[in-house]
Amino acid sequence: MHCFPAHMISADISFSYNDEKEIFSSFSLSVACGEHILLIAPPESGKTTLARIVTGSVPKYRSGKLEGAVSVSGVDLLSFDIPERMKLVGRVSQNTDEMLLFSSVEEEIAFPLGNLGLGREEIEKRIETSLSLFGMEHYRKVSTSELSGGEKRRLMLSILFAVDPDIYILDEAFDELSPFWREKLARIIKKIGRTVIVLGSHMLAEYDGVFSRILTIGNGKAMPYVHHPVTFLALTLKTGHSTLSVENLLIERSHRSAGDLKAFELSVESFSLRAGECVTLLGDNGSGKSSFSRVLAGLLKEKSGSIMLDGIPLSQKERRKKVALLMQNPFEELFLPTVIDELESTGATQDAIEDTLRLFALKRDAYVQELSYGKAKMLQAAIFYLLDRSFAIFDEMDSALTSSEFTKAAKAFLDKGTALLVITHDKEVASSLPGRKLMIKGGEMHEYK
Amino acid sequence: MNISSYIYGTSFYHKLDVRPKLIFTALFSLMSFIVSSYAGIAIVFVLPIVLMLFAVGLGETWRCYSRIIPLFLIMLLFTPLQERDGTPILFAFGTVLATSEGLENVLRIISRLGGVSGILMLLLLTERNENIIKGFRFFHFPYNAALAASMILRFIPYLGYLFGEIRDSMSLRLEEGKRGYPVLPSITALIIAAVKMVPDTASALEERGFGRVKVQPVHMKKPKGYFIQCAVCIIIPLSLFFVR
Repeated sequence: MHCFPAHMISADISFSYNDEKEIFSSFSLSVACGEHILLIAPPESGKTTLARIVTGSVPKYRSGKLEGAVSVSGVDLLSFDIPERMKLVGRVSQNTDEMLLFSSVEEEIAFPLGNLGLGREEIEKRIETSLSLFGMEHYRKVSTSELSGGEKRRLMLSILFAVDPDIYILDEAFDELSPFWREKLARIIKKIGRTVIVLGSHMLAEYDGVFSRILTIGNGKAMPYVHHPVTFLALTLKTGHSTLSVENLLIERSHRSAGDLKAFELSVESFSLRAGECVTLLGDNGSGKSSFSRVLAGLLKEKSGSIMLDGIPLSQKERRKKVALLMQNPFEELFLPTVIDELESTGATQDAIEDTLRLFALKRDAYVQELSYGKAKMLQAAIFYLLDRSFAIFDEMDSALTSSEFTKAAKAFLDKGTALLVITHDKEVASSLPGRKLMIKGGEMHEYK
Repeated sequence: MNISSYIYGTSFYHKLDVRPKLIFTALFSLMSFIVSSYAGIAIVFVLPIVLMLFAVGLGETWRCYSRIIPLFLIMLLFTPLQERDGTPILFAFGTVLATSEGLENVLRIISRLGGVSGILMLLLLTERNENIIKGFRFFHFPYNAALAASMILRFIPYLGYLFGEIRDSMSLRLEEGKRGYPVLPSITALIIAAVKMVPDTASALEERGFGRVKVQPVHMKKPKGYFIQCAVCIIIPLSLFFVR
């Protein structure tokens, strides 16, 4: 154990954002040195806010009213200067895009290490070790904009492990990782002699045996978590006639920022999605699931092959009006000021909008940029629900949502007869969904049994 | 925020040392503000395009410029094509739509925006962030200022990138039979996203320990032909003075 026994982190805080809604009310949490705790709570319960308060970015950069303090060894964390605070506490953000700043993977890791005042040799050593820990060594010179969602998450983990603070905060860090990397991360946490706080929206099989305590947030307070077995809503499929099909598709994406890295290729000999059907797509991080979904939705051009609706080829632009794509990072497709602005941009009637607000439990006047990641996913689902496309793609929609919220969204689409392609890393979610399962492995798509 | 745009390559502009490249970028940007002749306006607009074509090819050049076209449109919206005392060149229903002075003014603004954006994009496409910071520090910029400058340089291309994302997102919401994307909501969304970027970036920098005073000194070797590179990178932009 490397940290000092006195390095216990404790939070005694009350916090509300400027909209007066209280997020934490006399919230009290103490975590001993080297302890590993899991905090499971639904979206909007304040998990990300807590992580931001601990690292000092709230209320400094997102204004709100904070009473009390987060302290380490009895000293207010905010009283430490910035590099000292970075040695004490670090976090993996749920929204990785908001934390990436530079033009390559290597620079992202080297920047905080340079700020720690480390020498070139030590920086080099830590970059190599942390990249290989999370299988990112081949991406060292690659631009972060060319990484998949899961790879970005592994990069954020590499940065945190390279800095190696006393206290690790992992905000939904298991989400968007493939089962292999989830298991590996769990094994690493088990062995690490650091205080680790993992924040999550739902229980994962990989959490088993990793944590000494599991807590939740209720009424703005920390309390013991009581696990209830997950009950997925029964999803029934309707039969439809329209079929979206793919033949001899080849997708190629090169890593333009690195000359020596082989271009990524995905070949799909045949794929079909019939209206009312639900198909689950699995695969490792960076295997091409998101690229495939972007091609289906017309946001990315295929190298060759055809995409057809009822046997008639669809152009790239035509696909955008047929296929709804709920991107992995919801903030990539939410840009208007409020929830109601986003919903009205679909051209739906006021009655339909009101029903949808209720169905997806959204507040009409909430500011989009202040929504939690999970709530932003529900808004994303609400927008495409109103657009009423025949085909929808849920790109890792289940991450950052509770199981019941995810199945509620899936049910809403399936009940309308929408064909659903669900991309997920969660074995439990995959097994709960009806319909065919597909897997992308080695650059090819296969049936998964 | 994601502001990465570097593309690996072996073109002459890639091979140019970062220091003369920074001199060229700064002088060219400065000189673009003193030219007002049609020839000067044309050179300021076209030269970065030609260099970009050689450095990263047609596809990437088009991708970069297509992203800043909305910014040209915004400029056009706020710059009148007619001047009260100007020489009329275009009429419709007895009204002067454009004067030669108004047109020249618009072309000058578009040329400066295109030229400066183009030369900055070219720098970012051909140079990694860490080299740009090293280059600034070679010219005795303090570390924090060098980092801030390298990030500010990425702001205009980033706005273009962001606009592309917004446009894609809006295009997924189009009704059957409709084309294009709603321009005004997209611009509003762009402004909101750009404003949000400021606290996010500040927060990300702080969480990575930004603010440290003691930093490693920079040692940069001078490559073969360094002084010739510097001379060329000074002479070319300064020669714009003759067509001002």
